[in-house]
Amino acid sequence: MGSPEHGIVVVGAGHAGCEAALAAARMGVPVVVVTLHAGRVAEMPCNPAMGGVGKGHIMAELDALGGVQPWAADRSGIQFRMLNRSRGPAVWGPRAQCDRADYSRRMARILGGVPGIRVVEGEAMGLLVRDDGVRGVLLAGGERLRAACVVLGTGTFLGGILHTGPERRPGGRFGEAPSVGLGRALEALGLELRRHKTGTPPRLHRDSLDMDRLEVQAGDDEPRPFSWRTASVRNCAVCWITRTPPVVQRIIGDNLHRSPLFAGVIEGTGPRYCPSIEDKVVRFPHHDEHTIFLEPEGLDTPSVYVNGLSTSLPRDVQEAVVHAVPGLERARFLRYGYAVEYDVVPATQVRRSLEVRGVEGLFLAGQLLGTSGYEEAAALGFLAGVNAVARLRGERPLVLGREEAYMGVLVDDLVGRDQREPYRMLTGRAEHRLILGVDSARERLMGRGVELGLVPERVFHVERSRWERREDAVRWLEESTLNPDPETRTAVRGVAGIELERQTTWAAVVRRQDVDLERLIRSLPPLAALGVEDARVVVSRVRYAGYLERHRREVERLKRLGSVVIPQGFLDEDVPGLSLEVREVLRRSRPETLAEAERLPGMTPAAMAILVSRLAGRGVDRG
Amino acid sequence: MIRVSGPGALAVGARVAPGLRTDRPWRAQLVELHGPAAEPVDRGIVIPYHAPSSSTGEDMVELMVHAAPAVIRIVLESCEAAGARPARPGEFTRRAVANGKMDLLQAEAVAELVHAETAWELRVARSQVDGELSRRVGVLREGLTALLARLEAALDFAEQGVAVDLDALERERAALVEAMGRLRSSVRSWERLRRGVRVVLLGPPNSGKSTLFNTLVGMERAIVSPHPGTTRDLVEAEVELGGVRVTLVDTAGVREGGDAVEAEGVRRATEAAADADVLVVLRAVDGETREAGEPTAGVPWIGVVTKSDLDPGVVPPEGWVAVSARDGTGMEELEERLRGMVSGDVEPDAVSVVVNRRHAAALESAAASVEGAPLDEPELAAEDLREAVRHLDELMGRVATDDVLDSIFETFCLGK
Repeated sequence: MGSPEHGIVVVGAGHAGCEAALAAARMGVPVVVVTLHAGRVAEMPCNPAMGGVGKGHIMAELDALGGVQPWAADRSGIQFRMLNRSRGPAVWGPRAQCDRADYSRRMARILGGVPGIRVVEGEAMGLLVRDDGVRGVLLAGGERLRAACVVLGTGTFLGGILHTGPERRPGGRFGEAPSVGLGRALEALGLELRRHKTGTPPRLHRDSLDMDRLEVQAGDDEPRPFSWRTASVRNCAVCWITRTPPVVQRIIGDNLHRSPLFAGVIEGTGPRYCPSIEDKVVRFPHHDEHTIFLEPEGLDTPSVYVNGLSTSLPRDVQEAVVHAVPGLERARFLRYGYAVEYDVVPATQVRRSLEVRGVEGLFLAGQLLGTSGYEEAAALGFLAGVNAVARLRGERPLVLGREEAYMGVLVDDLVGRDQREPYRMLTGRAEHRLILGVDSARERLMGRGVELGLVPERVFHVERSRWERREDAVRWLEESTLNPDPETRTAVRGVAGIELERQTTWAAVVRRQDVDLERLIRSLPPLAALGVEDARVVVSRVRYAGYLERHRREVERLKRLGSVVIPQGFLDEDVPGLSLEVREVLRRSRPETLAEAERLPGMTPAAMAILVSRLAGRGVDRG
Repeated sequence: MIRVSGPGALAVGARVAPGLRTDRPWRAQLVELHGPAAEPVDRGIVIPYHAPSSSTGEDMVELMVHAAPAVIRIVLESCEAAGARPARPGEFTRRAVANGKMDLLQAEAVAELVHAETAWELRVARSQVDGELSRRVGVLREGLTALLARLEAALDFAEQGVAVDLDALERERAALVEAMGRLRSSVRSWERLRRGVRVVLLGPPNSGKSTLFNTLVGMERAIVSPHPGTTRDLVEAEVELGGVRVTLVDTAGVREGGDAVEAEGVRRATEAAADADVLVVLRAVDGETREAGEPTAGVPWIGVVTKSDLDPGVVPPEGWVAVSARDGTGMEELEERLRGMVSGDVEPDAVSVVVNRRHAAALESAAASVEGAPLDEPELAAEDLREAVRHLDELMGRVATDDVLDSIFETFCLGK
């Protein structure tokens, strides 16, 4: 049945697997996708939403590079909001509530529609490995799928165990069996596995909610799509907000011993940013209430996701907690919350290309590498797919810098520093947050998408003219002079609401604290011509100018450091002057450039000075 | 004591002290010490150390020998013959830093410790070696990180309605800036401690400056004997007052002579006063009653009515001290007041931390970043606070980590 001998096998059809398969196939390499359930592609087992602050940034980048998730989210989206709209564009976070079932069906159709992708239902039991390189995948029935590269995106399925109170059953997701053999195969390759844990809240029936007691959270008036592929999107659903009453503290407190989390049954490490309600009650005993967001799971389903009540407490306790919440007194459960424990491969064992160190051709992606979230998974899947193709073709892998993209931050954080909990992207993780906004994602990355052949040049040209117009407007604001003659003063008063006292530039006006920016954006012709969103970007860039300049200098410095390659043998030398701790960190983390070395935990300026002098010296010696 | 450190230290120890059991680290052993030609020279206590459990983090040997110069010389020669070389200044400390045994601040303090001349300097440097400044900067950094965490949470968890309480942020910011300022100002204090507090005696001719100067020098331990100034025609002496190094400056004689010289003298006295940390303004009990030269604004001063023995019933102006160098009246009070001023002028923080120019510059930059942060625009304010954290990290000689995130999760209740 036709192994892709010169192609790629992708194990798993979740967000990582789909993106890996689509990228590789669209780059012209034959791909076989192995999945346990061909009918459950790109599931959203947690909340039915994509994006947000940090995650939305990743989606904007993935879109600029030619990934598919943002487009699919646009098509299946039922409510769109731009978070942090009132702040600068660097922290705008596009988010969409999606129709779960529609998203899954859509992604399955997309997979099916790309030539070169074949979906095989089955369980990958093992890896075919020879001469330090992967040669394919062994299926449960004994079939061998030969391939030049393998991408694993198994999500929460490796050794998965689901917990609801005392109930404990093997499973990767609700109602689905886990994968067991593959974990052993990875261990046999010498890889260390670790247990992670995550959880999900109950699902309730929409008709059983007391809507009158819930606050409505509507989408934006002008919803904005994620993708350049999408012309426009519209809102067709709302979410609701309520809060847990103080009595929930007591209900949970009385039953804590029945939570597998606290009874010590669950060993895996859970994410701090996504704690269960029992976690919240224990860690924040002084909080009387916790906000609950009720999110519809789709247009054709009555299922509502209870964001804020992730739990693995027994069913009766879940019912007591939910029924204590205003508006949920008579709520009917469609599904109970559960926690899932699963195996991950700490990402310090892969290269920045996501290829396993020491096993040529084996790439890992998604939750298997210790992330959480559909967006992080898709980003890693995309990179794994692209880099598997690069491996096949003997080309350089796509490795993005921390100063270039959140996707670079993601990979560097995972590979360069040991993450002890499921990793979620936050803008706070990026040193260069101000230059990594969603507004600049296409400027930063679309050229790469074109090089990969995943973004049409025509689109690139349209986008480029758009950001060039923005740059022109920035320049115009900086250079245009305003003289305080009566005519100009009246004009400035009219468009910016301020008094002009002496000669200045429009840029200086924009930077003033008392300027009416919203009016300026809409009434100053060069800005108004750009449209509101681009005008806001322009104005922010002018206001950010000093900060942006600082970043540009730092980026230059990092580029210089990044250009100094550390010979791998050097890491094992006893470099005089380096502390034992630093030597150990270098040996373990194996940075490939000085820029990577600088980021390592435990690195000191003194050690960097030694490395710079030693390695820059070598460079000179070699001419 | 002779210290040998480095990968070959144990071998050197074994050559110099053949009886030494280098396989028994951290034990003081009484052994025979040999010269370069293996001739017995002395018996001494020798302690071998195995890396990394030594003060330098390397293999190390400490040899305690008798303090006879010849013994020391021969044992040193013997060490060199065995492959050791003389340490460069500060080399042990540098190695300790490189091996993570000491942080940069502690190392700097060791340098200060070595040069300490007064009891106070010694105490301050000592506490620094124990990490006092690191601790204080650590507290500042924690405060910054907590503030930053609030801003970051407002940005990253907007979805969950984390609000920014601007007033609370402003209060936190103000407290941080103030704390940084306090620590930074101790640089002046420390420099004053190291350089000496300049106490300048100022007064009209014949108001008894020289007599008071000599009496004060006589009462205190002179560090350097009085010598006539060559460039400024000022007489200076260094004394230790209340543990603080004090440079006493006598402007005596500068106004004597002709008009031209007098003008020059006034200029110099004024200069000396401007350079003073503390002024002692004198007026003889029988002298002119007009105020003796209003002291430079901002410089703390003390008024002294001298020659009080000439008029035992004199009532000095409020805050002034009446003294007689001849019978000692008031001298103790004056000394007490002076002691209070020289140490009181030094920030209390300086008692326990050394802050040098490098530290002060880093603290200043950090404070400027914090002060300038526009808290109502969190994404920009966060940039400034991150910058401030970097300055503190530079000060401490380390590179930032993910502490902010940890702080966020400790402070906020977030999540699905």
